[in-house]
Amino acid sequence: MDRFFQYVFDGLSFGAIYALLALGLVVVFRGTGHLNFAQGEMAMFCTFLTWQYNSWGAPLVVAVLLGMLTGFALGAGTEVTLIRNVAKKSEAGVFVVSIALFLGLNSLAAMIWGNLPPEQMPSLFPDQPADFARIFGAVWRYEYMGILLVALVLMGLLFLLFSKTKFGLAMRSVASNPESARLVGIPSGVVLASSWGIAGAMGALAGTMFGATTGELTSGLMFSVFIYAAASATLGGFDSPGGAVIAGLSIGVGEQLAAGYAPGWIGQELRLGVALMTIFVVLLFKPSGLFGSVKVQRV
Amino acid sequence: MSLLAMRDVRAGYGPLEVLHGISLDVEPGEIVVILGANGAGKTTTMRAVSGMIGRQGQVTFEGADISSTSAEKIVRLGIAQVPQGRGTFAELTVEDNLRSGAYVRRDAVDADIDRWYEVFPRLAERRSQRAGSLSGGEQQMLAIARALMSKPKLLLCDEPSLGLAPLITQELFEVLKKLNADEGLSILLVEQNANLALKVAHRVYLLETGNVVASGTAAEISSDDSIRKAYLGA
Repeated sequence: MDRFFQYVFDGLSFGAIYALLALGLVVVFRGTGHLNFAQGEMAMFCTFLTWQYNSWGAPLVVAVLLGMLTGFALGAGTEVTLIRNVAKKSEAGVFVVSIALFLGLNSLAAMIWGNLPPEQMPSLFPDQPADFARIFGAVWRYEYMGILLVALVLMGLLFLLFSKTKFGLAMRSVASNPESARLVGIPSGVVLASSWGIAGAMGALAGTMFGATTGELTSGLMFSVFIYAAASATLGGFDSPGGAVIAGLSIGVGEQLAAGYAPGWIGQELRLGVALMTIFVVLLFKPSGLFGSVKVQRV
Repeated sequence: MSLLAMRDVRAGYGPLEVLHGISLDVEPGEIVVILGANGAGKTTTMRAVSGMIGRQGQVTFEGADISSTSAEKIVRLGIAQVPQGRGTFAELTVEDNLRSGAYVRRDAVDADIDRWYEVFPRLAERRSQRAGSLSGGEQQMLAIARALMSKPKLLLCDEPSLGLAPLITQELFEVLKKLNADEGLSILLVEQNANLALKVAHRVYLLETGNVVASGTAAEISSDDSIRKAYLGA
């Protein structure tokens, strides 16, 4: 039973990181209908920048906030300069652009930071070996608790933004019907750029928190996280923010349980396989995801 | 001074020109109807006014040139369009649809929402339902109410009768007529159902393949024999 709680708890913390990134994917997808394959690499790039701000002397919290701001600018800037213009000409072009961004950001990070001595991302939370509490016999590390808490608070704030503010209403309107959104005077360009920006900022935070748990930063930091996030968004439904969060947490827990209880069969090596299988199974049997909407039109 | 004036307006989609130099006016407090067959350019005319497509020539609203103003800004100036096919936000609730209609306003909007619930009681009953679950007639009411939430001076209505039962259409036209009579709301209406449209119109423009081929008061148009044959089927 101790092991069970351990897996669930660790799974929730990592799941929260997947959920943050998945939520970014969903926000972008709802706004523009595109899957941003570079979401993870944008997060990785901003994580390096956060580390850089910190090593230049900015206190860690300030560096994280600056990193999120940079993430916002990177996301919004990408939408304004690249995505929007390419999408006008070809939807398939956007796919290629996001793959190019994936490779470009990855190489750029390796070029800038690859030759330096290994960078250790400091944690926002106490992360010494002794920093943990024992609950239900499981080790609850303060760092993992912090990650879960920060992610949940941020996601809560986002849901308030979506459901309670005028800007959130504008976002939902643009996602529902871009043409009509213009007709009621919503500047859809600003809304779409902001959606990408919000996704970028969430990615930066997810990357920074995840990076602190892995030890050294590498340009491959977010590869697996992105796969888990994509699986979460698929499972939850690409147009359902709530679904992305629930699916992200579930996949985090599922991955820990699978790797923990079937160490010989799944173990550390096949964890990603669990995520990929999830994607396949969902796409085969329920393509809209668990909470996604199947478009029905009445006339 | 005309509320809306179009002078020699050309517009279309990419290389395809649909409007070949349209001129028309809407005076304050008027209901103006654009009649024409499929493909005559009625919807394109609406889109040229609301700024949804690029246009050449002159479009002025309250004397100010809006021919290169963006759709988002034109709403702020006081023109609201009810698009063809309603264009409601299907995933949003009825109430959120109305709220988004008031996007350009800074003042309190709750009183207006209640007001449109009074005019369209069926929307009030369905206020927390998703717009996509409404019937066609209810969606059309919602689309009109949403446009009115921006407090426009000119309402552009693109074939409100499309796909609706005659009784519902009748009801909608009554509402439009009443808004015009009671509050002086100017309306530019595109309609295929000429008989119905002529009953509410003050003036009429007849469109044929992107040109205005006839215009006049509703009475003049109704009594013109050749027009009756072509458009009124009598």
